[in-house]
Amino acid sequence: MAKRQLATLSLPVFVLSALDRAGYQTVEDLSGATPDSLSKDLNISLPSSQAVFQATQMPRSVPLTQSAALLVGGSKAYSTKLAELDALLEGGLKRGFILELSGPPGSIKETVAMNVVSSFVEASHHVLFVDMQNMTSPATLVRSLRTSSSAPQDCQGRVHHLRIHTLPDLMIFLRNLPSYLQDHPETALLVLNSLSYPFQSLAGLSNSTRVALLDRVKQTLTRASASTKLTVVITSQLATKLLKPDGSAADFETGSRAIMAPALGPAYLPSAKTYRVCVVPRSRTAGVFRLLSSPLAVHGSQPPVEEAYQLAR
Amino acid sequence: MRLQAISPSPPRALLDALAQLGIRTDTDLLFSADPIDIFRKLPSSTLSLHDFHSFVAQVSQQASAPAVCGDVLFEQEKRKEENDLYSDLTTGVRELDGLLGGLAPPRVIEVSGDRGSGKSSLALQVVLRHLSSDHNVGALWIDTTGDFSADSIPRLLESYEGHSPEAVSTTLERLQVALAFDIETAHDVLEMLRTTLSTHPDAPPVTRCVVIDTVTSLLGSLLSAVSSQGHAIMTTFMRQLQTLAESFSLTILVINTSTKCTPRNPDSVFATTDRKPALGPSFTFLTDTTLWLARRETAEDGGATHVAEVFRSRLVPSRTWCSFKIRHGILSDT
Repeated sequence: MAKRQLATLSLPVFVLSALDRAGYQTVEDLSGATPDSLSKDLNISLPSSQAVFQATQMPRSVPLTQSAALLVGGSKAYSTKLAELDALLEGGLKRGFILELSGPPGSIKETVAMNVVSSFVEASHHVLFVDMQNMTSPATLVRSLRTSSSAPQDCQGRVHHLRIHTLPDLMIFLRNLPSYLQDHPETALLVLNSLSYPFQSLAGLSNSTRVALLDRVKQTLTRASASTKLTVVITSQLATKLLKPDGSAADFETGSRAIMAPALGPAYLPSAKTYRVCVVPRSRTAGVFRLLSSPLAVHGSQPPVEEAYQLAR
Repeated sequence: MRLQAISPSPPRALLDALAQLGIRTDTDLLFSADPIDIFRKLPSSTLSLHDFHSFVAQVSQQASAPAVCGDVLFEQEKRKEENDLYSDLTTGVRELDGLLGGLAPPRVIEVSGDRGSGKSSLALQVVLRHLSSDHNVGALWIDTTGDFSADSIPRLLESYEGHSPEAVSTTLERLQVALAFDIETAHDVLEMLRTTLSTHPDAPPVTRCVVIDTVTSLLGSLLSAVSSQGHAIMTTFMRQLQTLAESFSLTILVINTSTKCTPRNPDSVFATTDRKPALGPSFTFLTDTTLWLARRETAEDGGATHVAEVFRSRLVPSRTWCSFKIRHGILSDT
């Protein structure tokens, strides 16, 4: 730590400028001082001076460094209980990956989310289920867990259900997520049901605020999936986007055709860890899963892969 | 530098008297006022004028940078080249190596380009080739966006010539991946690297190559038009990288993204380039070479032709360019 510049430590600006005025440049310069002598020398309060010494100690949390050998796959794949979707995901959903399911209302995306929950519960993991549009109540979850064949008796204790309706609540939840995961290390799956709802229900959300909040979501998801190997399943509604004849974005006056695309866009998900699947129902019992992007495929270069599904009645 | 740190240490009375006048550091003593004026303000019993002048001379000698004769420096460089035991770092594309003047340490290279232009693929190829050619070296990959995926690495390793399957696992173990989402964490990671390299300089695996993918997400949000603090943080960080590369003989690849530059980019040889490296016009002066990658055509077999040009460099002529191919993440000559 000796050669580190004091200006790179995260200290308040007035402390840094006092240190600079007194001529302290690297951590080595502080080696002969004590908090008392430093606070007298710089004319700052004793707690601020103690904070300086605390910051010069080695960092308490080792920065997240691991060898690439630990990152290479071969981890277990969890089934979505729908063979066609498992085929699109190349065997199932692996630990540390994110699955975004988008589709029109009434499509089976919430059912798929519940299937993934039961897969994780069968493997004795804990699940955190966040419901944002009251689509899946705890009773529905219990019923789906009871009907799944190999669930153990005490499976209800493994699923934690949370209701969030507003955008500030969602942001607070995401802010507290890392400390929650530290306190509950057995949590392996996070389900964010109807993630698009808090964003669209807030009127007057400016574009820049929306982009900033989605960036915050991306950071939290990236950190959680990289550090604790948290698997995330997100369901989202679709939004109508208008396009001009040449394919560029348009509004209601200039557009010539409308398409439905996932409401939150692709930018809030880390591309190397996300599978984005769109559920396109053709009838009440049959439809198509369309893979919009996956970790290996570059977005939009080839026509998207599709797998037709048929629901058993 | 504080005046207390001058060796041999000056008398206590002198330091207290100077502190009363507000002179605590060497810059205060040498540049705030003429020595005669400072001496006049000191209490008369502190020391004589002759002693004060010798004290000022002592401070200015210790504050100045050490000088080296040109011929001594030349001898040092020649000896370093002869003793160069480190295997060459190479991109795998002969023309690109020639364009960059080689990748031998110490070097800080900025690789910038639009999305999909091959920046991460180039950095990954340099690192993997280096790790598979010498079994005692290690590499550090600082991931700032969470986009690093190690799943494609075994396949890439198999494509390099002379590679054995058992070596795949050791190669992966020598590649350290660090996650740093903000500048403070990045400083902590570099501090950890500095500690490892200074306490155990020869213990294998010795890190020779560092990649920061991407530096824009660390620094871009700090830059603003109304305050220069972000720019100061950026300059400090890049200077730290330069000193780290110099003192521990590292090659550091810094990946930067791009922003719009209408109507066209004047640094580029091609008239069609309408984007420029992000982080402002001064970032290019904080690195040794700025390499710009662009994707040209896509072939039917899944490969694509890319063009690399040097915008500005301290080491090689600028406004030079070459082309190369990328197929399934592997770079090769055209």
